[in-house]
Order: sequence, then structure tokens, then C-alpha cells
Amino acid sequence: MAVITLLTVSLIVFTLMEMVPGTCAERYLAFKNTQGSQISIDDIKAEEKRLGLDRPFFVRWGSWVGDVSLKGEFGDSCILRLNINQLLADKFWISLGICLAALILSYLIAIPVGIFSASSNSPATNNSLRFVSYLGLALPNFLLALIIMLASTVIFGDSLTGLFSKEFRDAAWSWARFRDFLSRAWLPIFILGWSATAFALQTVRALMLDEIGKLYVTAASARGVTGAKLLWRYPARHALGPVINSLGFDLNRIFNELPIVALILTLTEAGALLIESLARSNDQQLAGAIIFLLTASIVALNFVTDILLALLDPRVRRGLMG
Amino acid sequence: MTKPLISVKDLTVRFRTEEGLVTAVENVSLDIAPGEVLGLVGESGSGKSVTAKALMRLNAGNTRYADESRITLNLDDQGVEVLALKRDRDMRIVRGGAISMIFQEPMASFAPAITIGDQMVEQLLIHSSMTRVEAKELSIEMLARVGIPEPARRFNQYSFEFSGGMRQRAMIAMALSTRPKLLIADEPTTALDVTIQAQVIALMKDLVAEFGMAILFITHDLGVIAQTADRVAVMYLGRIIETGPVRQVIRDPHHPYTRGLLNALPKLEDLDSELTPVPGDIPSPLDRPSGCVFNTRCPVMFGEPCLAEIPQLMQDETGRMAACHLVARNRGAKT
Ligand SMILES: Nc1ncnc2c1ncn2[C@@H]1O[C@H](COP(=O)(O)OP(=O)(O)OP(=O)(O)O)[C@@H](O)[C@H]1O
Ligand SMILES: [Mg+2]
Repeated sequence: MAVITLLTVSLIVFTLMEMVPGTCAERYLAFKNTQGSQISIDDIKAEEKRLGLDRPFFVRWGSWVGDVSLKGEFGDSCILRLNINQLLADKFWISLGICLAALILSYLIAIPVGIFSASSNSPATNNSLRFVSYLGLALPNFLLALIIMLASTVIFGDSLTGLFSKEFRDAAWSWARFRDFLSRAWLPIFILGWSATAFALQTVRALMLDEIGKLYVTAASARGVTGAKLLWRYPARHALGPVINSLGFDLNRIFNELPIVALILTLTEAGALLIESLARSNDQQLAGAIIFLLTASIVALNFVTDILLALLDPRVRRGLMG
Repeated sequence: MTKPLISVKDLTVRFRTEEGLVTAVENVSLDIAPGEVLGLVGESGSGKSVTAKALMRLNAGNTRYADESRITLNLDDQGVEVLALKRDRDMRIVRGGAISMIFQEPMASFAPAITIGDQMVEQLLIHSSMTRVEAKELSIEMLARVGIPEPARRFNQYSFEFSGGMRQRAMIAMALSTRPKLLIADEPTTALDVTIQAQVIALMKDLVAEFGMAILFITHDLGVIAQTADRVAVMYLGRIIETGPVRQVIRDPHHPYTRGLLNALPKLEDLDSELTPVPGDIPSPLDRPSGCVFNTRCPVMFGEPCLAEIPQLMQDETGRMAACHLVARNRGAKT
């Protein structure tokens, strides 16, 4: 299933890459042109031949998918003429890690708080929670990022930008580099997690209220089930399924917010790279690679949530096992 | 006379809502004797479920019971003032202990992701000193008793793997497993098709005889009541307007509303006669009529007292009661 989804995604991504006007060869040579070299039609033809662009669409798609899936090889960037794998290096994984961390953080907070707030009927708790989550939704991430940066510059004399200190920027991964990374990554994680938590809190709360209103909860309390058991074993347990269902969607949203935050904090990670490659240089190979990796991670996450769902929900489980 | 099993006195239930305080049940008094089947009928919204849930303290958080309301449960060893119970723990005696309830929607009353067996065992562990193994044995036995084939396999299944009729049987098995003194059945057959409905009713009658418990049987179907109940109470807009032995009430209804309900039923002996539903709509509970609650729809309304004065339930020589000014006047004229 996941494989079929990925193949479809790759076809769509590849088609989109193809739909960008002009081929890679033309674009590169045009770029050269601006730098003063003289370009002829023959040069373009030769370049296309070299890149294999004269082959039919499906053959090229096949070889792209083959390279990507079998060798994890994305080819060269159109313009920068660098190997995309080298260009991305671990930037993509770092951004994915930051987004996942923000996602996990937001649900770690939202699940217990959402469950308690839905089960409590004290107006004070409810109103203060509502206030906090509106604040989270209303305060844009970039504003929060700016405020924190400003504050930290004033207070610590360090702008906290970038993901590594100077001495670690190009170093190989080591425990020290990882610690350095963590000491800086908490900021984007926190900023991304901020609004994600507000969203997740609303989701969890709404789903919980939904479950609490259901007859099986009344029926359980009519059987004498009380207290924590009545909360966790019944509505909370049953609200978890739809909560997990919303994870893939949330990761997608967090990833969408990453570039802005990254831009402000000057993190040179994949999200910002994506914008750059799309906006500045029309680098379809690079953009395609990033989009494909992103979608693949979301498909992978959905695969994981499907498994979790099957573990949680007997209806799904029996459906799978027949 | 023996003490009633449960005695409801002047039960008034209001709900706090955004539109203000809504009265859903007003001055309801009723007794259920041990082993008796009391039918509670009335149109949708008349307060049947709210009354029933009050017995188990299951109404939502916005519920206010009036100060003078009393619900007394008389058990062999103790009397329980139901409305005075404070902690959830103490309410267990009326929640699955001495009183059990089955609901209209058998599908929705089981938690979808917990096996039927787990839910049965959980309840038994709460209400008895059984071990898990004993509780499982008893649960399987109960499933067998209500006519579920392969009970040991069914024990491990989820409610979505049961058919509608089977779910209601399982619900009954679960409700009876703690041997309650009173079973509240809130429209237990409304969601089932007719043949299954008949089977479930037959099963319930069997079990009443076997377990000797009392039943509060709620429905809006007088036909079902006629088959199952000993006594019937008719509710309208939160008030009981007539009670009496089922056969007598059906043969000779005193209150014009009861008469209206009966005229709305198809008659087998005369299928060509027109059905005459009770005319008009039930008024909104936010806008309760003053005087007799039925005066907006009553065909025999005769003015002044009906509009101004709430008629009280009056008992006649045979023990039947009706709350109607006309009935009271005619009776007065006779004597
Ligand atoms: N928690 C609540 N808050 C506000 N109003 C409520 C609440 N629970 C019940 N009511 C109202 O009380 C009235 C009586 O409801 P009840 O459920 O007892 O009717 P019923 O006789 O059981 O009808 P039905 O045949 O449809 O089940 C209705 O108007 C209902 O809207
Ligand atoms: Mg009801």
C-alpha cells in the first residue's frame, strides 16, 4: 500500500518537475549565458543528450525512481551542478527531526492537557486553557521567533541563530556536535511546537468532548465504573484513534511552517533550501528531491499511524486480518 | 402492603441551559414493588429517560434536583436515599449494584474498542468479590442464558461483531449478571426489527420470572407495554397524568391524553377505522403551559380550572389515578 502511494507520489512529483518550462539543460546553459559564455543550439542538444533528456518521459521517470529508491541517489542539481545528496547532506534529516520533535512535543502536552480539560467542568480551567490556545493560534510563529531572538540577543548577547556553533558547523557528527545541536535546536522546536500544541490541544479536546458525550460512557458509568477508569479506559482510550489519525496532517503543517522560522533563525536546512531552489533558481531537480523526501516521510508517518491504529482499534485490526 | 422496592416522591428535575432553567420532570411520584413490571409511556421529550436516569443519578452535570424530591431504594438490609448520595463510589449501589439499565441503542452502549467480555467482567469485579476467573465463567454463563450461541467465543468479541438483536441480548446478560433488584429498560426494543423485538421481549419476560426482579419498562409503544407490564404510568411534559393496572388503563383510559395515545394505535379488529393521532405538538419545555400541562392539546378542555390550576393525581375506588379536572368533576358528580 505504502509502496503504491510512494510510486504515485513519485510520478506526480516527476511530472511537476517536467512541467516547469524549459529543460535542465536549457536552464543550465542559459545560466551560463548570463555569466558570459556563448551558447549555441548544438550545445543545448549535446547537454540534453548527456543528461539523457532525449529519452521518453516514462523511461526518464523509471530511471529517476530507480536511482532514488534503489541507490537513494537524486542526481545533480540543475543549476548548482552539485550532487543533490551532497547538497542536502543531513540537512533534510535535521529538519525532519526538528519537525518530528515539535510534533511529539505538541502531542505530549496536548494529549494529557486536552483530556483533562475536556473532563473537567470547571469554567476557570476551561477559560484559561482556551485563552492559552487562542494565544498559540493567534501569535504567528515568525513573530514569536523574532521576539525570542530579540530577547536572547539582549539578555544573553547571543542571537541563538543557526543550528550549530561555528566550531561545529562543518564537523563530523560526534557527541559534542550533537549536544551543541540540541542546545540550539530547542528554539525552532519550541517555536514550531508552540502553535502545533495549540492546534493539537484543540483537536484533542474536541475529540474528547465528542467521546465523553457518547452513550457507551453513560452506559459504563451506569455499570458503576468511576473515576480515572471511567476517564482513561473509556473516552480517552477511544479518542486516541482519531488523534493519531491527525498526526500525518499535523506533520505536514509543521513542515510548511518550517521555512519561515528557518529563514528568521537563519537555519540552513531543507525547508529554506526548498524555497530558495524554487524561487531563485528554478532548480527543478533539487526541488523535486526535497518534495519527494518530504512526501515520503509523510507517507512513512501515515504507515506508522496505520499500524498504531490497528493496534488500538479492533475494528481496523479485524478489517486487516479478515 | 409490602414496602415498595423503590419509591419516588415529588421528583422535580431541572436543567441549567443557556436559555435558562428548563423543567424536564415535575412532581413525579411513583412506586415500584419488588418483582413488579411498571411501564412508563409518553411521547418523545416527556421526561421518561430523565426520570429513569434520576434513579441511577445518571443525568448530566447541568441537572438540578428540587430540594423536596426524594428517591428511596429499600433493600433488605438498608434504605438508600438516592438523591443524597454524594460520591461516585457511593453511587455504585444504584449503578449496576441494585439497579441496572439497558439502553435503546445496543450498538452505542458498548465501548467499541473493549471486548464484550472485558466489559462484563469489569462490572462484576466492581460489584462483587469474585475473582477474574469466576467473573469470566459467570459472564459466559449469562451470555448462554440469553441465547447467544458459542458464548465462550462471543465473550472475546467486540460489539461490532454482534448483530443488533444479539447486542441487546448481550446487554441484557450484562445488566442481569450482577443480579439487580431493579432493571431499567429504556426503549430496549425500539432499534430492533419486529421479529427480534418479539424475541427480546419474550426473553425479558422469562428472565423476570427467573430472577424475580422489578422492571421499569420505558417505551412510547403502548402495544409493547400491554404485553409486558403489570402497571403503567403515562407521562406528559414531565408529569405523570395517569397510572393504573395495564389492562384497565388500556380498556378504559381516564385521561384524555391516554385516550388520544390509544386512538393513535392501529386496531386489529377494525383496520379500516381512521387513526387519530393526538392533535397538535408537544409544547416546548421552555414554555410550559400554566394550569394543566395538557391544556394546549386537550379535546375536552372546559376552561377556567384547566387553564389556571394544576390537576392533582386522584385515586379512584379501584386504585387507578388520573390527573384531570374533568375526571375529578365527573367523579364528584357521581358521588
Ligand atoms: N442534560 C440536559 N440538559 C438540558 N435538557 C435536557 C437534558 N437532558 C434532557 N433534557 C431535556 O429533557 C426533556 C426530557 O427528555 P427525555 O430524554 O427524558 O425524554 P424522553 O421522554 O425519554 O423522550 P424519548 O422518547 O425521545 O427518549 C427533553 O426536552 C430534553 O431535551
Ligand atoms: Mg428517552
